[in-house]
Amino acid sequence: MAAQHTILLVGESNVGKTHYGAQLLKRLMVKECALKMSGAPTNLDAFTKALSCLTEGRSTDHTPATTYLESVWPITDEASRNAELVWPDYGGEQVRNLVIQRRIPTAWRERVLEATDWVLLIRLHSLRSEDDLFSRPLQSFAAAESQAEAAAYEPSDQARTVELLQMLLYLAQLHLDWPLRKPSLTILLSCWDELETTELPADLLASRLPMLWAFVRSNWISPTVIGLSALERALSKTDADQEYVTRGPEEFGYVVLPNGVKSTDITLPIQRLMADGSPS
Amino acid sequence: MDRCPQPNCFADDNTTCTLGHIRLDMCPEWKRVSKGEVTASSDSDQMLLPWGGLAMGESDLNFVSGKVKPITVGIVGPESAGKTTILGALYLLLGRGALTTGANFFSNSYTLAGWEAVATCMRWKPGQPPSFPPHTPSGAARAPGMLHLGFRREDGSLRNLLFADAPGEWFQKWAINEQALDAEGARWIARHADVTLLIADRQALAGPKMGAARNDFQLLAQRAMAESRGRRLALVWTKGDVDVAPTIEAQIRKAVASVLSSTPEFTVSVYPRGTVDAAEGFRELFGWVLGTKRVGVDLPMTKAFRHDPLFRFGRR
Repeated sequence: MAAQHTILLVGESNVGKTHYGAQLLKRLMVKECALKMSGAPTNLDAFTKALSCLTEGRSTDHTPATTYLESVWPITDEASRNAELVWPDYGGEQVRNLVIQRRIPTAWRERVLEATDWVLLIRLHSLRSEDDLFSRPLQSFAAAESQAEAAAYEPSDQARTVELLQMLLYLAQLHLDWPLRKPSLTILLSCWDELETTELPADLLASRLPMLWAFVRSNWISPTVIGLSALERALSKTDADQEYVTRGPEEFGYVVLPNGVKSTDITLPIQRLMADGSPS
Repeated sequence: MDRCPQPNCFADDNTTCTLGHIRLDMCPEWKRVSKGEVTASSDSDQMLLPWGGLAMGESDLNFVSGKVKPITVGIVGPESAGKTTILGALYLLLGRGALTTGANFFSNSYTLAGWEAVATCMRWKPGQPPSFPPHTPSGAARAPGMLHLGFRREDGSLRNLLFADAPGEWFQKWAINEQALDAEGARWIARHADVTLLIADRQALAGPKMGAARNDFQLLAQRAMAESRGRRLALVWTKGDVDVAPTIEAQIRKAVASVLSSTPEFTVSVYPRGTVDAAEGFRELFGWVLGTKRVGVDLPMTKAFRHDPLFRFGRR
């Protein structure tokens, strides 16, 4: 029986979950990458719209907040290892709500328990980098009276992401006594093209979100950080990108592997999961 | 009523389901024995988490201290001496990856919202420069709010720290009267703290009421040292950018040195001092706290009377 890799794809709104899903699916179907489709996928509802938008050189709409669809893709890698990839698509608000409302719907709990591999999408470009006393010292403090309305505040992006992972770990009934090997954790830094950097993905994560990186590094034996640009360039929702139309979306997109090597094969992050997590 | 088949669950005894289900009829374990008496729609079952993120109270501590007793750090000092600011600064440095070096990695915190609440006013916000954390309110609480941080050490094991954030009034009352009614929280800290940070407020010691501040410190130091009974204690000068008369400084040191010969000393300030980065003082302080080891217990050796180890304690 083929090993089943159920991906727990975690990402807030607007990090590019649907675009990556659609591009990955396209690559699997074109069969020129490290991973290939070895049969017919079950249900492509979640991705047909995105696929057709991309073919026309446009970006796709926001996935509705309540949607959660899973699609099962039979895949095979170069070593003829077969697996079933369970790939979800959903509105990212669900993830944010988990942390804010602190109430976990049963469906999410089951997803977490079933998942063999965790993939966390982070879009560094849309995260706030906040200055504080240490990064930007000030000459004199504001008088204490002037800030009576200090009650409302939002937790930092970093704290929210750490809390999210802590919640997922709790739901998966894992404890942190020792660093974890399974489920494996892959962090995809999405929309890599926006960052305009030549740093290694892990170094960039460490410098931008040091607390999150420390959390990940201390609790997983070998977390993987990969840069991902699913579309390679920003697309507009209305105006078609002519090059996309003529060459096809499968010609676009790349990943930056942990060692800094850039590859156009965006199935590599998933291929690594199959290679590492081969059935024991 | 049926008993839940899960060995650690006592939901039949009206306690919370150990798997976190609010409605028992949604729990898969419970359903195995309850034969589907009531079936609820699946979206009515939501799970609550055992931690809320805010500072922990005495009864929440079980969640952190269930396996290993965490190291409790008590910050002892008068009102507006900068106790909460120390905590906020530690958290900001953690968020910047500048708190620990090398061997210790941040691993978890079940009070992230509490930390954020302390640190948020020390961040720059649009149109609003940073300020100090607001005054910690002193309610009738019997135990201080606890902020948790877990670190993974080089050997892979975890070390949990709990920082007690208590209002200064408690300590002022406690310094004067150990049995003061509303100093229960201060006594709690004195009883449980593995590490005590004794705060000397340089601004108060240089201000117009420096005599009173010195006197208060001497009382508090005496009390804290009597209660610490050999546990770790450090003198922490806050607002390190303020100059204090050398004689007063010497008197403060004397107040601490009178019992313990070598009390470590740290100076912290949120302002950079000359070429010294503001983070440096906090980092040193935290490094010292993290190096705390709980005093081990020496078990007395027993002499065996026979060679059979199973009968070591047998009749003479």
